[in-house]
Amino acid sequence: MKNLYRPIESVIEDIKKESPNITTYKFRPKEPITFGAGQFVELTVPGVGEAPFTPSSNPNVKETMEITIMDVGTVTHALSKMKVGDTVGIRGPYGNGYNMADFDGKEILIMGGGVGLAPLRSLILALFDDIDRYKKVSIRYGARTPEDVIFKDLLPEWEKMKNTEVLLTIDEPADNWTGKVGVVTVLLEDLPLLTAVDVKGLPFSADTAVACVCGPPIMLKFVNMALLEKGFKPENIYHSMERNMSCGLGKCGHCMMGELYICKDGPVMTAAEVAKFEDPF
Amino acid sequence: MKEVFIGRENLLKLIGRWAKSRRVYVPVTFDIMNSPETPDYELVKEEVPDKVELHGACPAQSPKTFLFYAREVVAKYPSSDPEASVEAPATVIVGPRACDLEGLEKFDKVYWSTKHFTEEYDDPFYIEKRRNTILVSVDCTAAKETCFCTMMGGKPYAEDGFDLNISPLESGYILTTGSETGEKLLDGSDDLFTPVDSNHTDERTRSRASVTAAVERQNAQYAVDVAYDKHELGSDQDAWAYVTQNCVGCGACNRICPSCTCFLLVDQRAEGGYERTRNWDTCLSIGYARTGGGGNSRPNLAQRLENRLRCKLEYSRDRYGAVSCTGCGRCIDVCMGRIDMREAIKHVVTEMAKA
Repeated sequence: MKNLYRPIESVIEDIKKESPNITTYKFRPKEPITFGAGQFVELTVPGVGEAPFTPSSNPNVKETMEITIMDVGTVTHALSKMKVGDTVGIRGPYGNGYNMADFDGKEILIMGGGVGLAPLRSLILALFDDIDRYKKVSIRYGARTPEDVIFKDLLPEWEKMKNTEVLLTIDEPADNWTGKVGVVTVLLEDLPLLTAVDVKGLPFSADTAVACVCGPPIMLKFVNMALLEKGFKPENIYHSMERNMSCGLGKCGHCMMGELYICKDGPVMTAAEVAKFEDPF
Repeated sequence: MKEVFIGRENLLKLIGRWAKSRRVYVPVTFDIMNSPETPDYELVKEEVPDKVELHGACPAQSPKTFLFYAREVVAKYPSSDPEASVEAPATVIVGPRACDLEGLEKFDKVYWSTKHFTEEYDDPFYIEKRRNTILVSVDCTAAKETCFCTMMGGKPYAEDGFDLNISPLESGYILTTGSETGEKLLDGSDDLFTPVDSNHTDERTRSRASVTAAVERQNAQYAVDVAYDKHELGSDQDAWAYVTQNCVGCGACNRICPSCTCFLLVDQRAEGGYERTRNWDTCLSIGYARTGGGGNSRPNLAQRLENRLRCKLEYSRDRYGAVSCTGCGRCIDVCMGRIDMREAIKHVVTEMAKA
């Protein structure tokens, strides 16, 4: 029988610093691992352990996989000591991911907070590959300081994409920052109650607007409230749930929320699906 | 189904015959244990120990110990071999009770998913052992104070889920086959059996009824108005804090539980590289739900004990179609805080009714 717990050897091919504590690693798995946007993998640092990450690269690129990782815990810290050419392990993909067909003909609001933009980048790149299928892609991203903004070099390119806008905010004023200031929900202030009003000349309406949200739990909580107030339908708000997905197989129990396994029923879950929980985030 | 009667000496001989080609575990009383009336499993070596104890209530441990090891290597890496390497010698476990067989049903659903659901994640380490393990269940002939199977829809004797069942009587045992594998256990041993007569079956009926009544009687005080499989216990923090008062979060209840399936993966250095072990885990530990960066969806012990008890009664039912408490009472036996699940449920249900 197939061993579900074996990590597939993957070589670090490139390392790119995004911010003081966030780094993008490019891996080349020795056996093919293909994933869909929003799915996650278990990354092994040999002898240290595993942790779940959603790749940040384009799911349509099959040979390599990028993961953008913040140095916060045991596994991520051990990874931060590794170099190009070193070998890690990857197994997966796991979880549901986004169903891209749900987005056909829709306006897609992408809300990222901190390192939460990393998994969304995979979705964004998948959307860009088929940009004509979507009415609008509105990327709204909040970071703590200008330094903490990730994908600094990519954001201007994204803005040039057809039907796409990029809005940024940082938590507190900074000398070299001329953009918006305030937590990420300030980026929703310009959004009128969803009926059929124009945003930058493009339509955004309650029937066709979807939101994909990823960030720290506290951000999900407040963005969820703000989006519902703005008139987004709960079934059209897709959250990327943060739990301790340890086996990825619906067995170890660590990611359970009530009867749900976030590693199988999630990590992408709509506001409607989590509404029955008192504090799902 | 085949039924035969067997005396004690012959039963020990029969077990000895099984042990010639398989690992056989039997429940044995140990004088060194605090409660000598509770037997625990011992591997049959040269001879079948004469301290084999088949009377009474469930053994100290459940068969989970043999099918889902407390610690087990599940991967060695680096490796390009996609196949799992599993050691699963032919094994016979004599002694599981009806509650234990029910606990294995939860394991089957979680680890042998394709047997019950259309899913791809079959666990080779559990399945190989399960396939190679013969279950010889035993009727309870007495109830421990902490037994409450009847409260959870169970009975103190098994009606299915076994390969062979043993009903202990005064003068010997009735053996009942429950599968082809069980029938094979009896093959070639006709010299040891006599036919079952109506005195034997009458005695079994009386014994089963009397143990059932004893379990029901001792649990009357814990009765609530909600059926065991209809609980919605809610998150009343005061009610849960009250039942958690004596909990130290040690997780003994999880580990002894016949239906607690959760585990923790631990990686470490090993010869030739690294190995990944799978270890019994406890949802009562603070790190259980902790995420990278220190987030925690259940930072308080009361939330974690709530999660454990609601997992048993609600989440398993909603996910897998059956509550995962079998009423074996072991969690009460091992709790150093003397937390009694029956009292806890009654308290929470009563407080909810007041609100």
